[in-house]
Amino acid sequence: MTNRRFKDTGFEPLLAYIILTLGFFGLSIYLFNKTEFAVYVYLLFASTLIGKLSETRRTEFLKICFGDTQLKKIRITENLICSTPFFAFLLYKQLFLFAGLLLVLTTILALVNFRTTLNFTIWTPFSKRPFEFTTGFRNTFYLFFVAYALTFIAVSVNNFNLGVFAMLLVFATTLSYYTKPENEYYVWTYNHNPRQFLFSKIKTAILFCSLLALPIALVLSIFFHQNIGLILPFFIVGWAFLTAIIVTKYSAYPDEMNIPQGILLAVCLWFPPILIILIPYLFRKSENQLSSLLK
Amino acid sequence: MIAIRNLSKKYGTNEVLKNINIEFDKGKVYGIVGENGAGKTTLFRCIADLENYEGEVISNLNPIKNHLGLLLTEPFFFQKITGKEYIQLLCNARNIKITDIENRNIFDLPLNQYASTYSTGMKKKLALTAILLQGNDFFILDEPFNGVDIQSNIIITEIIHQLKTLDKTVIISSHIFSTLSATCDEIHLLGKGSFIKSVQKTDFQALETEMKQTTIGKKIDKLGLK
Repeated sequence: MTNRRFKDTGFEPLLAYIILTLGFFGLSIYLFNKTEFAVYVYLLFASTLIGKLSETRRTEFLKICFGDTQLKKIRITENLICSTPFFAFLLYKQLFLFAGLLLVLTTILALVNFRTTLNFTIWTPFSKRPFEFTTGFRNTFYLFFVAYALTFIAVSVNNFNLGVFAMLLVFATTLSYYTKPENEYYVWTYNHNPRQFLFSKIKTAILFCSLLALPIALVLSIFFHQNIGLILPFFIVGWAFLTAIIVTKYSAYPDEMNIPQGILLAVCLWFPPILIILIPYLFRKSENQLSSLLK
Repeated sequence: MIAIRNLSKKYGTNEVLKNINIEFDKGKVYGIVGENGAGKTTLFRCIADLENYEGEVISNLNPIKNHLGLLLTEPFFFQKITGKEYIQLLCNARNIKITDIENRNIFDLPLNQYASTYSTGMKKKLALTAILLQGNDFFILDEPFNGVDIQSNIIITEIIHQLKTLDKTVIISSHIFSTLSATCDEIHLLGKGSFIKSVQKTDFQALETEMKQTTIGKKIDKLGLK
């Protein structure tokens, strides 16, 4: 299925795997260079990703198809495959204890199953302007607790960079709310023209993302006031990426964002000034893509 | 008013709608019937401007889509969005300020639960409530009675009657003839992409009898039921 998805986006699977491996390795090095708590973030990220395979309905389906004994073997194997990149990098960093811990976590997660959809409704501050932040917040609220906890740690250990990392974690999380195209009905139903629609999406995203990142920015401004001038530029870059991901999404709409577009955004991570050209270009492209649904 | 002139729609070489001409006046309710695959949903999608087509769809209110409440056969709901948020989303999309959603919940839906956990009928009632609260002038209701309980069917029928008195234009498709005869002023029979028959209210009974004869024929006999 993964190969099919790559082919659908016009990418040779082999090339995609090479790029993803390099990207994973690069981001891992970046994370470990940026913070001493990287290994904890790494373990949390790996178990969250692997945990998604333990979803009850998925496990039930596998159980019906393969039976109890086979199910355990399959679940352990797929969890081990998914944890391989993380495991390999931890070995490379000679963090053997954490690599062992990851293996234990991976095996435990293969033997349990849980519902990824809860029966109760999670409160969200974004109910008045659905849907991206409303649904996104419910899926990722725990990451905001992690970000706020990291901010607290940053202040305790007097590490401004860790605080900035926490702020960027908030921005990165909200970017993920705009990666999938919504059903056409939810674009069609707007009585806006494409430009008004895009501005309204961008405005909401910037407002809500700022609300989530503001507590971190305030704490950093108070406890690291000598670095206050750095906080605003990080905010502006965060807003720019948020705008970029929205226009990237709608420039491909109704199709999913493709890998070349993803690579282009990744390049912007290394050199954000490219966004000054990229955003207006993708904005115009989005207007064209949306013109068949919005008049 | 919506007027359709020479509307045709092709998917590749497959012509789904062939030279459709029809007018839908305000204050009237129209039923569209036809077998599965006759082109009803495609026609609705063309009117809503969700499809490209040949021909014209003209209206006194333009663009039509900004005044149209479209109830799909199977409404799509996001995961982790409540019924109340769904209504809010659709009202926001039309710049409708709404503060008393709970009071307008006439189907007694559990609005604070995730809409994706609703039953088929509840989803349909939620989607219908949302398009009604959008304050539309035109309504396309694709199988509004499908999967809905009897009590709600009665309410939906009354809603359609009220929309008619409010001078709205309503187009309905349904596979249950009685629901159409209770609500429609005209019924149009769609077959293989063209309108093959149009019937006024006075002739609904004759149409039903004719459809029964044509559809059933001697098919049941083939089962050899004993």
